[in-house]
Amino acid sequence: MLEISGLRKRFAGGPGAPEGKQALDGIGFTVRPGEMFGFVGANGAGKSTTMRIVMGVLKADAGTVSWRGEPMTHADRQRFGYMPEERGLYQKMRAGEQIEYFGRLHGMSQANAKKATEDLLERLSLTDRRNSSVESLSLGNQQRVQLAVALVHDPELLILDEPFSGLDPIAVDALATVLQERCRGGVPVIFSSHQLELVERLCDSVGIVSAGRMVASGTVDELRAAEGGMLRVVVRDPAPGWADGLPGQVDVQGNRHVLVTEDGDDQDILRRAIKAGHVEHFGVEQPTLTEIFKEAVA
Amino acid sequence: MNGMMLVARREITTQIRTRSFVISLLVTVVVVGALAFAPKLFDRPDSYTIGTVNSQQLPLEAAAPDIEFEWRSFPDEAAATRAVLDGDVDAVLVDGAKVFTDGQIETELGVLLQSTHREAKLGAAGVQIAPLQMESVGADTRYQAARTGIAVVLVLVLFMLILGQVMMVAMGVVEEKGSRIVEILLSSVRPWQLLGGKVIGLGVLGLINLGAILVAGIGASFASGFAADFPPGMTGIVAGVLVWFVLGYAFFATLGAALASLVSRQEEVGNVMSPMTMLIMAAYFVAFYATTDPTGTLATIVSFVPPFSSMVMPVRMAATEVPLWEVAASAGLMVLAVLAILAFGAKVYERAVLRTGARVKLGEVLRAK
Repeated sequence: MLEISGLRKRFAGGPGAPEGKQALDGIGFTVRPGEMFGFVGANGAGKSTTMRIVMGVLKADAGTVSWRGEPMTHADRQRFGYMPEERGLYQKMRAGEQIEYFGRLHGMSQANAKKATEDLLERLSLTDRRNSSVESLSLGNQQRVQLAVALVHDPELLILDEPFSGLDPIAVDALATVLQERCRGGVPVIFSSHQLELVERLCDSVGIVSAGRMVASGTVDELRAAEGGMLRVVVRDPAPGWADGLPGQVDVQGNRHVLVTEDGDDQDILRRAIKAGHVEHFGVEQPTLTEIFKEAVA
Repeated sequence: MNGMMLVARREITTQIRTRSFVISLLVTVVVVGALAFAPKLFDRPDSYTIGTVNSQQLPLEAAAPDIEFEWRSFPDEAAATRAVLDGDVDAVLVDGAKVFTDGQIETELGVLLQSTHREAKLGAAGVQIAPLQMESVGADTRYQAARTGIAVVLVLVLFMLILGQVMMVAMGVVEEKGSRIVEILLSSVRPWQLLGGKVIGLGVLGLINLGAILVAGIGASFASGFAADFPPGMTGIVAGVLVWFVLGYAFFATLGAALASLVSRQEEVGNVMSPMTMLIMAAYFVAFYATTDPTGTLATIVSFVPPFSSMVMPVRMAATEVPLWEVAASAGLMVLAVLAILAFGAKVYERAVLRTGARVKLGEVLRAK
């Protein structure tokens, strides 16, 4: 289990921004084994900074990061898989050798690193690119190699900064499948993304970060419940003024009136609607993650 | 295998496979091999063609064994004069009494002709003169030319190899920092392992280069016969070159890596490295000066001052005989300097390499906790 609590980080000011920036302002969350955790937030909200602190690339000013109940050490991090936001690979090195090299740096034997590399190349449809230099690969394939580098040593925790950005839908599915497999094997996976539909589809839980603070977190269902559904009623050819006194807003679309409301007695509203005209639609609509996100960071 | 050795091995295997490494190795080997033949091409022994008209040949060969003489005889003065004017012969001895030349005679040949002529006449008159015994009471200068030649080649080789390998280290550091590979690397290895592995790996490549140059140079010297002029203690000189290269490279490579870790873009490497490049250039100039004046005050003093000693001392060792205690003292000082720069470089590197973006100031790095 990964526990992060009270992380604070301030970046020193420079020319152009003399006052500096409070990048993290007490952020904290927990990721359990086998949980896929989606990290969402606007650009500059502090997602990457948090991930970099977990990976030891940055030092926090305050707060703790613990792994399996103990403060995280370099030896722990050696068993993690990390994909930084700005992709980093040796451009002139061959794809297969590169994956194997990182496997060995993480402490694998040559035989194991080779085998894991072959498996990953096959899983990511890169087998015929094994001996191509990274610079000769398409961006999508470079991204796959980058992912393979993060996965090769069978990590105990995966931290992926924007792993899906720039991938085509097929590559997204391939990557998602690989991540879900690792997750089912008990590995906690944290990834950040701006593709909220994807986060909603894949993640067990979501953390929404804004200005260095966790503004909402939990399972997608919990977030929905907290946000509450919206009642949406569509009435055809209603009597004018039927909705007077009801909460919410009425949107007139031709001969249809659409009422959307958060509060009010739904049974009362239904009765009024039936009396007023032909009810075409009546139901509670769950907010999408996008709506929850916009609400949370507003 | 630990992280440092893995890093070193990656540097070696990826570099050794590049075409530029193979080509530059071949070119240096060929150039150094060709240099060993140079003395033979440029330093051919003097030779003279001498004609006779109605004269005995003089015993010039006995008087000057290093010089080749070719004799021709002419029937009369007219034929001899024509041969002199056509440049077919350098001089013609006529009637054992006079010498024809085209313009003034070459001093060396004139002196030889006069003295052998005199000796022949005196010998005929029954006077025997014991030749003067030549004896040097100064330093043994027999090998001076060879020593200077070896030292000049050595300066160039050390300068090019150290500067070249150090630049490779610097570029490698910036490549990793700029592309953020270093963020992934440092989650599995320690900064000193990454730095050490890179310095060791590229150092091994430098040694491979140096070894190839030495083998090519010495092999070609034996093939060309230049090896006969090798000064005594050549093995010591070669061993010294290897040790001094390792020391000099370790110093400059660590310093270079530390400086390079301050910047994030390849374009900035040259700029941030310029103080160090100037240091290497200064060592190069003093070392070059030492080839001609290896016992002078400047060369002697600088051959003790790290890091300049790493280039000046091996050159002095090749150019003249340096007492062993001087070499040992200078090497000891250099080792201390290398240890100091390793501590300094590792600290700067560790603190700066993850600070991507604008150039990091050295003072800021040193002050940081």
